[in-house]
Amino acid sequence: MKKFPPGFQDIVPFIAFFAIFIFFMIASHDERTGAFRMLTALNLRTVLDQTMLTIVVACGVLFVVAQGSIDLSVGVNLALSGVIGMWAAHAAGVPFLVIPVSLLVGLAAGVFNGVIVSRFKVPSFMLTLAMLIGIRGLVNYIQTKTHAQRLPDELLFLNTPAVKTAIFIAIVLIMAYVFEFTRTGRYGRAIGENETAARFVGVPVGKMKIVAFALSGLMAGMGALFYVVTVGSTSQQMGVFLEMRVVMAIFLGGVLVTGGFSARFYKILLGSFSIQIIINGLALVNKSDALISQSVQGLLLLLILLVSSLAGKRTARGDDDHTATSGQVGPR
Amino acid sequence: MRKGLSIDRDEKWRTPALFFILFIVALAVVAAIAHFLTGGMFLEARNAQVILSNSIYPTFIAWGLCFLFACGYTDLSLGAVVILGSFASCAFGNLYGYPGVVLGGLITGTLLVFVNFTIFAFAKIPSWIASISLAIIYEAVAIFLRTNSVTKPYVDAELSRNFRELGQFPVNVILLVVFLVIAYFLYNRTAVGMNIRAVGENKEVSRVLGVNIPGTLLWVGLICGLFSGAASVVQQSYNVKTFAMAGMTSIVLLFKPLAIALLAQILQKWIDIIIAVPFCSLIIYAVFNLMTLFGVPSGTLQDVFLGVFLIVFGIGGQKKTRGVVK
Amino acid sequence: MSAPILEIRGLNKRFGPTQANRHIDLTLREGEIRGLIGENGSGKSTLMSQIAGIHIPDSGEMRVRGKAYRPRDALDAYEQNISMVLQELGVIGNLPVAVNVFLGRTGRFTKCGIVSRKAVSRATEELFTKWGLPMPPLNQFTGDMMIETRKIIELARALSVDPDILLLDEITQSLSLNNRQKLYELLEKLKSLGRSVIVITHDVEEMLRITDTITVLRDGEVVGETVSSGTTADEVKRMMVGREIGGDYYRADNRPEHGDELVLSVKNLSVAGELDDISFDVFAGEILGFCGLSDSGIHSVGRAVFGLSKAAAGSVRLVARDMDITSPAQALENNIGYVPKDRDTEALMIDASVLENFVLPSLGKLAGAMGFISSGSLKRLASERVAKLSIKCEDIAQRVGELSGGNKQKINLGRWLVKDPSLLILDCPTRGVDVGVKAYLYSLMKEAKRNGIAILLISDELPEVLGMADRLIVMKGGRVTGMIDRGEAFTEQAVIEVMI
Repeated sequence: MKKFPPGFQDIVPFIAFFAIFIFFMIASHDERTGAFRMLTALNLRTVLDQTMLTIVVACGVLFVVAQGSIDLSVGVNLALSGVIGMWAAHAAGVPFLVIPVSLLVGLAAGVFNGVIVSRFKVPSFMLTLAMLIGIRGLVNYIQTKTHAQRLPDELLFLNTPAVKTAIFIAIVLIMAYVFEFTRTGRYGRAIGENETAARFVGVPVGKMKIVAFALSGLMAGMGALFYVVTVGSTSQQMGVFLEMRVVMAIFLGGVLVTGGFSARFYKILLGSFSIQIIINGLALVNKSDALISQSVQGLLLLLILLVSSLAGKRTARGDDDHTATSGQVGPR
Repeated sequence: MRKGLSIDRDEKWRTPALFFILFIVALAVVAAIAHFLTGGMFLEARNAQVILSNSIYPTFIAWGLCFLFACGYTDLSLGAVVILGSFASCAFGNLYGYPGVVLGGLITGTLLVFVNFTIFAFAKIPSWIASISLAIIYEAVAIFLRTNSVTKPYVDAELSRNFRELGQFPVNVILLVVFLVIAYFLYNRTAVGMNIRAVGENKEVSRVLGVNIPGTLLWVGLICGLFSGAASVVQQSYNVKTFAMAGMTSIVLLFKPLAIALLAQILQKWIDIIIAVPFCSLIIYAVFNLMTLFGVPSGTLQDVFLGVFLIVFGIGGQKKTRGVVK
Repeated sequence: MSAPILEIRGLNKRFGPTQANRHIDLTLREGEIRGLIGENGSGKSTLMSQIAGIHIPDSGEMRVRGKAYRPRDALDAYEQNISMVLQELGVIGNLPVAVNVFLGRTGRFTKCGIVSRKAVSRATEELFTKWGLPMPPLNQFTGDMMIETRKIIELARALSVDPDILLLDEITQSLSLNNRQKLYELLEKLKSLGRSVIVITHDVEEMLRITDTITVLRDGEVVGETVSSGTTADEVKRMMVGREIGGDYYRADNRPEHGDELVLSVKNLSVAGELDDISFDVFAGEILGFCGLSDSGIHSVGRAVFGLSKAAAGSVRLVARDMDITSPAQALENNIGYVPKDRDTEALMIDASVLENFVLPSLGKLAGAMGFISSGSLKRLASERVAKLSIKCEDIAQRVGELSGGNKQKINLGRWLVKDPSLLILDCPTRGVDVGVKAYLYSLMKEAKRNGIAILLISDELPEVLGMADRLIVMKGGRVTGMIDRGEAFTEQAVIEVMI
């Protein structure tokens, strides 16, 4: 296989980011007013809001992806956390209750995922897909009873840019610290590189998996708070397709599907901005065509995976990954 | 891990025939109880026929999944493939009659899954994630076909009344039996079937024994495609009109076949997996039918149950697996 | 002298940084039984698998009966009546015995695309009868069968091509005594039919008994060829190692010695299907050797002590900390080190850097307040040690997969020594490294012993255990069958008597 110069893998996401940015900036140029529609204050605010949500959720999912697993249930976890959190706040008449309840619901769903994956060895994509349909059904059921719930006025202050940004930065700093500078982060990446070796060195693999999924769930709960604060209410559309947006952000940032030490925290920041600019840019250029946006995202995902699998300096061990991640249950 | 000092378990006689009879008897008893509990609605002729007819096209997809699982792959785009295959079946059926219905579905299904497997076999991307991206693309194509002014009249239409027999009782049951025989022999009695199972069990050993691994994978693509195509034909003939939506909804379509295949995999210790599939399909559809009869809201709480079934079957099948699972 | 059937000239094979075979010349005659011997990593299996078409040589040529022989794959070799039983390869567990024997070659049993199970079974039955092999139930899946049974199925598969050249890689060690006898008879039969066989076995005495000639390999090269009847076991071993055994290669002293402090005490340990009622103690500064055939359970001991397998009964007690080890995480916390047998899949993260691999066991020690681990401290630790152990790599950011086996093994062992563990479990620590690195690894072991580290040395190479251990535990079938102290009776003969 052709060998790429060192660091190729790490440079591509940056190039992609700038290419995407410049392309959509030019494409969004308005002939009539001569302005770049992408750069208007209002649009930038929207992009930033969306990106913050993506990054917050991606912070958690990164831990799972680093281990070579995947969490496709974050979108529905977010919806469930938000819906139950708001319901609890309204039912108890205590607005602030939405915060702990949302976080706890997200955390509980994450821990459940982690326990099933580590204890029962169900492939994570299969489990979290099953959660995707199951929890979505539950959320829809709850919403037929409660309908859309408005954010209590007492919490509106959270949507001021200063407060929201401060909270966002605090979350990013904490998660970055845990991922880059503690055993939890490093052990997780070691599991992604070679789970057997990690176990044979004494890494508590089962515990680490539960921790990773728990963080992923917790951050989905946090994402629910960002969502309801920004949008102002719960909705049927909460978290729909979010899991793909997050996964693409992570891969677009240059993390490999197999995880390991290719997973770095800065990559999710980069990837989240890239994917959000693409989604926003497509919407600006082609007003309402969600269809094109979806096909572009699908193609993009395939392309990212192809490029990273070709560029990766990996041992010809790739074959194993199919069996490791597939739905093979097989007779023994 | 190594088997260590495992003993020959020859003495542990498995009696598949006996188990099979017990299995059928148990099903009959449960069905009778359910019939009683629903006040005579469950096994009433029309309801029973609905269950049977509903369960047929997912059975075809589940067979396709059995071949995929056997060689260690997953294809989550099969739902979208069936949607596109149904479109083709509808469009060409209305234009050319039965040959169009059959060939449109079969060729589209086979072609698309074959493309998928070409990608799985040659790009070293785990199949589940590659197939998710393919599912997203196919979904978008399906919506494009349904909304585009040129293709809309063809695909966003009902299949003509004259060409619906393949999805109706009893023709659909005959088709089921025919494909059961094909699947059984492919899986158990052909070199390709054996190679597929060998590759899934141990790629390295298979390679050394001279099994052509990329070739085998393409064969899986063909076989799975054929069954997906057949599913499209029956689906279109039965449901008459196919809808397509965005947002990975096609993957949701795949969940019942997935549950069926996983359940069959648990049972395969006693019943041949190919033979188990139609029974599992009946069980799953009967259970959801019962839920509806008992007033469990479909789409919401029933989806919760589907998710739970998937997780439980997934755990049941995975119990014996050792080693690394991501 | 009969005519040559296989001639190999100037054969070379490289795997990444390792030159597995270097300019091999070999001539095999009709009706000859050839033994191939050498230490682990000397390239025996590589040579065999090239003859069998499993690997393709980089350069050099092979001729069969004078005609150029270039097998594309194993099936191609089969068609030219050359077949092999591999050392670590199994059978397909979810297919019946008969199908396993003819997998990939079911063409002649096929009518209209349907394989006749009956015909396959009948052919398999004939095959087992013809060669006098014990017949397993032909229609059962092989997954549940014993290792020995599965090995015999593999042998049947190799015999199904009616081989002119049969290649056997370490087959006797998984056979019981009476099946071994059957194998010897089989070899005689093949010989009388004018067929040729190449055999690899670790058991030198056995090799002398069953072969006509012996080729000795070292570090990928042929270093000697001899007639079996005209040589002795010592002579062969000397050729394998390339110098007198003893001296500064292994330990020089001939007395067991260790500190007073009891480090580990294993009592009545059983692991389902692997170990049965194992008990032993090991003291500070003691090297406790474990030897036995490969499915005797010696490797399971290492895993069980490190908490990797679930104990059905008994305990692994770390005496100094007064606690039982039940999980690998606990073992790591309590300063136990483990070097697993299979370097590339069990020990190292092949695609990660030297740095990441080296620091992995030390992360707990390096974590400061709030679990903080600075990347500076990691780099310092890795680069200091890489220099000290003279690990050859471009820098510590280089991918471990690009290093040679010896350098990988230095990382594998060195990353534990840096922690100054109280107990070190070494499972085949010198597997697949060249003689120079081997000597270095032994010197590291001696140093560790001097520093009071208790060592469990598990190895399927008898000379290594005899050369290094203070005490030796011999195992068979998951049980301890004997314990010998270093001293007068510390010879291979004594051990083999207990072993079989």
